[in-house]
Amino acid sequence: MSSQHHLVWNGELTTRLRLIRRGMYLAAPGMLWILLFLALPSLLLIVISMTTRGDYGQIEWVFSLDNFTRLLGFSSYGWSADYLWILFRSVWVAFWTTLVCVLLAYPLCFHIANRAPEKRYFWLTLIIIPFWTNLVIRAYAWLLVLAPQLPFAKFAAVLGIIPDGSPLYPSALAVYLGMVATFLPFVAMPLYANVEKLDWALVEAAKDLYAGRARIFWHAIWPQTVPGLSVGITLTFIPAMGMFVVPDLLGGAKYMLVGNLIQQQFGTSRDWPFGAAVSLALMVLTLVGLHVQRKHSGEGGVP
Amino acid sequence: MRRFHWIVPFTAVGSLVFLYVPLLAVAVFSVNASRFGLTWQGFTLKWYQRLFANEQILEAAWNTLFLAGVSTVIATVLGTVLAIGLKRYPWSRRVYTLLDINLHLPVVTPEIVFAAALAVAFGLLRMVFSVFEPGMLNMIIGHVTFQVSFVALVVGARLASISTDIEEAARDLYADNAYIMRHVMLPLLKPGIVGGAMLAFTLSLDDFVISFFTAGPTSVTLPLYIYATVRRGVTPDIHALSTLALCVTVILVMISERVTRKTNKE
Amino acid sequence: MRKILFMALAMVLLAANMAMAADKELRLFIWSEYMPEDFVPNFEKETGIKVRVDYYESMEEMIAKLQAGGVSQYDIVVPSDYLLPTMVNLGLLAKIDHAKVPNLKNLDELFVNPKYDAGNTHSVAYQWGTLGMMYKKGKVPGDPPSWAVMFDEKKQAGPFVLIDSVREMLGSALVYMGKDVNTTDPADLKALADMMLKVKKSKYFQGFEVGTGARSKVVAGTAVAAIVYNGDGLRAVAEDPTSGFANPAEGAVMWVDNLCIPAKAPHPEAAHKFINYVLDAKNGAHLSNWTQYPTPNKAAKEFITPEDLANPAIYPTKDYIGKLQLLRDLGKENRLYDELWTMIKTR
Repeated sequence: MSSQHHLVWNGELTTRLRLIRRGMYLAAPGMLWILLFLALPSLLLIVISMTTRGDYGQIEWVFSLDNFTRLLGFSSYGWSADYLWILFRSVWVAFWTTLVCVLLAYPLCFHIANRAPEKRYFWLTLIIIPFWTNLVIRAYAWLLVLAPQLPFAKFAAVLGIIPDGSPLYPSALAVYLGMVATFLPFVAMPLYANVEKLDWALVEAAKDLYAGRARIFWHAIWPQTVPGLSVGITLTFIPAMGMFVVPDLLGGAKYMLVGNLIQQQFGTSRDWPFGAAVSLALMVLTLVGLHVQRKHSGEGGVP
Repeated sequence: MRRFHWIVPFTAVGSLVFLYVPLLAVAVFSVNASRFGLTWQGFTLKWYQRLFANEQILEAAWNTLFLAGVSTVIATVLGTVLAIGLKRYPWSRRVYTLLDINLHLPVVTPEIVFAAALAVAFGLLRMVFSVFEPGMLNMIIGHVTFQVSFVALVVGARLASISTDIEEAARDLYADNAYIMRHVMLPLLKPGIVGGAMLAFTLSLDDFVISFFTAGPTSVTLPLYIYATVRRGVTPDIHALSTLALCVTVILVMISERVTRKTNKE
Repeated sequence: MRKILFMALAMVLLAANMAMAADKELRLFIWSEYMPEDFVPNFEKETGIKVRVDYYESMEEMIAKLQAGGVSQYDIVVPSDYLLPTMVNLGLLAKIDHAKVPNLKNLDELFVNPKYDAGNTHSVAYQWGTLGMMYKKGKVPGDPPSWAVMFDEKKQAGPFVLIDSVREMLGSALVYMGKDVNTTDPADLKALADMMLKVKKSKYFQGFEVGTGARSKVVAGTAVAAIVYNGDGLRAVAEDPTSGFANPAEGAVMWVDNLCIPAKAPHPEAAHKFINYVLDAKNGAHLSNWTQYPTPNKAAKEFITPEDLANPAIYPTKDYIGKLQLLRDLGKENRLYDELWTMIKTR
């Protein structure tokens, strides 16, 4: 099709070229911004990940794959799977956090959808408030709840799980609590958008066919909620893998995740090359996760 | 109203309690007279009074608002225009996919990877232009970058629900492009733009990671301040500050609810 | 149209914000809780220079900030002695013009021309001190307590906190092991790594915290022992009678903090004035009387309270001084400790 070929686009008689040019003027600023401040820096990250850390913490432009071999475990103290463990642990924590959030989000959404329409706003507001409250506040607040003077830690001390007078942090439990509390609204909100518009006729039909409760859920309810659920999972799993505030405040040095590791390299360890390498590893994990999720959401939808 | 198994409302309410217990704990201990430790030593409002005398906190609060405001304005403009440019023009399939991927980059990238990339990029830029010191400029740039995507996505969603017939009809009535943009597109898009702007504003207010990696000495925001103080030792001043932040959040939520309900009716 | 105007206004405000920094100002970057409340206001009154203070909690944090651009945003930083050679090598520090600091003559001979900074070209001593143990009275045996309360699993008395600073933490551990805090012997380092990893696995281990954070934990009761700088510990103990502070029996790491000027400081004149102000005899005494750290200022010693002069936790006795060790910058070997630290933190 020649570019001088006139066409009618939304009622306008013009050429394709002129349209594209106009579209470009509109879209270019935003696109360029993202390109310049995200895409390019990410490429830079790849370059930096192959440089070396100088003796005093500066970047030395000596290129090698040492940072990646170090990630895989080879250091001057022999081989150990430290960093691989951290990567694995991050995925593990993200997985369980997402799962628990999903399990808690469904009853929450059903409960709200079940209220009278005027009351629903109230319940939704209850979810939105923690959602909009700052992450740092929500994380450090758990330091209060898990303190030794409060009943939860005292109970654990009585059971002998922790020594007397200890708080329930830093620990894996504290990190999980913090993560679930942080991400529950992220799953609940998109899921609710779906649940609100649920077609209950399907559920009635299943009941008429004498389906058991589990089958009703699996065949009549679940497929309808998959779109919202998959948004919620994406919004939870990926940020959870890279989270560092919650493990930092609640896990301390005892429970390190990949986010802490990266932050440490750009902070106190002053090892930007290694930090860049770990960031790339996280990025790869993210892309893998997205790919898996894209494949699975293909089989959603009401048959 | 449907009858559910009792476990549904039980878990639902339980989840909400789980979400609120920590926040309530902060509110309760913000009026506790004891400086260290958590034994109740009497009710007091002195921690709140000290807040307003604390210059650093006031500056952090101002920085947070300034940053959120400026970045939201820039991001809303860029994002709206981007959404229109992307969705209403005949891009070829390949070009569209590329642009779409670029658009989604900020949403899919983990915040810490983005922050690390920014730190590296600004570090190298600093060697050439000294304007890229850690500071408000860097923070605004960082915030706008991820806000643009969210605004564009929200406006794009709203755009999808506006039929192209309207534009055609306007042209039949001899409207030119500028007129259509000003008097047809933008008003129709208003709920989307407002929604996108509110989302961008909240994302900026709440942001910690990107601010952490790009902040300079004079541009500390409230989340950064709270984090630094918590590392030094949790004290009731921080509880008071957090409770206030919580109250502000509640007010913002209520305002936004009202605004969305109004624009949705239009 | 309105939106564009708004944007322009925002840009102007932004520019104004950034331009305000050029006024007569001093930007101080210093450890938190390191000056009495009226120290800076008095300086402002005397010189008419407005001071802006920012705080850090650890050396590594400070150097990271300087390397990330802070070198042209601050006028005074206060690094510890063992990292000074590194900072000079990285080009982060500017030379101090002795002509502008007449009060230099007040410094004690020990701190004039120190090994880590020949001729005081880049630094002037601010305060010095030790890294000791803050503990809950009655919960920790020994007077003074032993480092074993943290490093020996058979002698751990309760939840404890270690300090989040590479050399200072590993140095304290090496003191307990009876080794040289500057050792580069691979066998020593391996033993150190093994011991630290075992300590980390202990159920009493509460994490690595900065000095002030650890002190707060002991006061709050969530830990019974913590590694804390002696001044921080003593000030907390003054307010909380259930806690105590002591330099442990086996010895301790000694440090010297110094006033330095970053290489591209925006207001070097003001910086020199501040250094001169600190070195004044009365100011130096006021400083140390509040911080509870020993002062390197000979002229100021006259005005230090007699209780402080007699307090072994502040001014160690002659026998104890023999047990103190100074950390040294190890040049290329620094990376041995850095790698060890990363390994300890991540495993």
